[in-house]
Amino acid sequence: MISLRHLRKSFRDGEREVAVLRDVDLEVPAGGFTAVVGPSGSGKSTLLYVAGALDADFEGEATVAGKDLRGLSPRERAAFRNASVGFVFQAFNLLPSLPAVENVLLPGLFAPAGRSAERTRALRARALEALDRVGLADKAQRLPGRLSGGERQRVAIARALLSRPAVLLADEPTGNLDAVSGEAVIRLFADMVKDGVTVLVVTHEERVSAAARQVLHLEDGRLR
Amino acid sequence: MRPRALVHLAALNLRSDRRGTVVNALAACVGAASLVFFVSLGGGVGKAARQLFPGDARLVEVVPGAVSLGAALGGGALDDAAVERLRELPGVDGAWRRLSLRVPVASSRAPEGVRMNWPTGFTVQVPVVGVDAGLVAADVASGRRFEDPPAGEPIPVLASRRLVEVYNKTIAPAWNLRRLPPGLDLVGLQIPVQVGFSIIPLKTEDRVYDARLALAGLSDRVPLYSLAVPLETVRRLHREYGKPDAGYSSVVLEVARPDDVPGVAAAVRRMGFAVDEGERAMAERVGLAITVVAGALALLALLMTALAALAIGQALSASVRARTRDIAILQAVGATAGDVRALVLLEAGLQGLAGGVLGVAVAWLASRGVDAAALRLLPDFPFRPETFFSFPAWLPLLGVGVSTAAALLGALAPAALAARVDPARTIS
Repeated sequence: MISLRHLRKSFRDGEREVAVLRDVDLEVPAGGFTAVVGPSGSGKSTLLYVAGALDADFEGEATVAGKDLRGLSPRERAAFRNASVGFVFQAFNLLPSLPAVENVLLPGLFAPAGRSAERTRALRARALEALDRVGLADKAQRLPGRLSGGERQRVAIARALLSRPAVLLADEPTGNLDAVSGEAVIRLFADMVKDGVTVLVVTHEERVSAAARQVLHLEDGRLR
Repeated sequence: MRPRALVHLAALNLRSDRRGTVVNALAACVGAASLVFFVSLGGGVGKAARQLFPGDARLVEVVPGAVSLGAALGGGALDDAAVERLRELPGVDGAWRRLSLRVPVASSRAPEGVRMNWPTGFTVQVPVVGVDAGLVAADVASGRRFEDPPAGEPIPVLASRRLVEVYNKTIAPAWNLRRLPPGLDLVGLQIPVQVGFSIIPLKTEDRVYDARLALAGLSDRVPLYSLAVPLETVRRLHREYGKPDAGYSSVVLEVARPDDVPGVAAAVRRMGFAVDEGERAMAERVGLAITVVAGALALLALLMTALAALAIGQALSASVRARTRDIAILQAVGATAGDVRALVLLEAGLQGLAGGVLGVAVAWLASRGVDAAALRLLPDFPFRPETFFSFPAWLPLLGVGVSTAAALLGALAPAALAARVDPARTIS
């Protein structure tokens, strides 16, 4: 489901070329739950953004959910992110001015017209359903600022679930959560894996990697 | 992204940033309001001026030349041969003669059928000019004839359309006469006159007789302080009183297009005649002055609209910079650069649209206020319009369209800025 081969990525820092990912090979099977662990600055997030087609500036091969990400145009990358990938970030990344339900239905608003041109009302119903799945149906109209950290992350997960993606990419999903909220998020990931979603999590937290079926260590841009 | 979804998201964004939305909409409102106000003011004042000076842009009034050299060139007297030559000029569609009546006509009684509290002993000298029927054919009321009548019948006359207004606003108050009631149909009104009588000593003819003038219509082609009668009537009266016809007083040429007027006027002068441009020149000067002032005000309004566009652009740029992370999130969930650009443009467009609608309403209310103030503060002068503003159907559309376009124009740079957001870098 996720296949990264000879993945290399570097940044230019003035005159200096700084390598972030050095010849990374990664295979996550369909329905797999893989955790990539490593210290801060090891390139974990970069790896995730390449796999999620947020970052197109890389060398090597990247095939995710059957798509070769190298040849995609910006428009195709956006459509791919919308249809096949769900993102969960450490900082939740919810739009603070929109109520939870509006945040959840965002991916639906960007769905190409031909694919799932559903009316906003139907989309809202689906967003409420996703919120219900993460146990927040009763807080659908709350602004993110009036939700706890754990609740915000569950809203972010509901948003990631809206398009029923093949792949869920999570960047330090429990980094800002207490133990109880973190456990709830990990349980949600496990449920999603049971539903056939492929989950790739980058984290430096033991409790997350412990739930994964495959744990890989990224250090100095190399997977070990 | 579907248009409905785009509108939904733009509406959510605008609602979440109420203050910014209101400020931007107000900026657009000021531009639209000033544009609509000044353009409608220019249109309204122009309309009023056209009533005051109804110059027909296609008419050229030819009068005998003042220099005797004209006679040597075939000019001089405006006789029938001269009229024929004028009619043959390129670009001329018609030539109509005017001949001033040299027999005095006076009226000592009020027109029949109108209560005017005519002062006892009050006599008005009536200037009369004979005109070709073709010149005023379009203004003769239906069922009326404009031709020399049989003896004893009333003589058909046409008055200037402006004379009624001047009478009501100037003559009647000055002489303490009753004003003509609004909506009164003047056609058919009969004015008792004495032909041959003059209020100037020694100018009264030996023979004075009573006659009646019957109003056959109102026309902008009749001089303001004259009554027009059929040309044949003037000739008949000249014959009756032994007045020789030494050519016509003037000949009115109607040219095919207003653009042809300068060429025709030049040809007329080369023939040794003069062109009376008094009223026409006044109409043109007034029209030009109004156009210049209205144009300058509209330009000022456009400048204000441009400033509004700049303000909206600045505000949106700041908003986009503040929302960089939000934009990156939208991209992460599937927004393309085009979606982001369209979203920012739509937000600006909606603000411009709302500001434009509000601006049109403000301009209309302001115009009502100015009209109400003018009604109270300005004296009642001839042709004082009911309103100094003109709101043709296209004007509100122009106001809304310009403010929306200005907002969109101002949003181009912020939209491009938003579309350049790198989601990976921003989110990380």
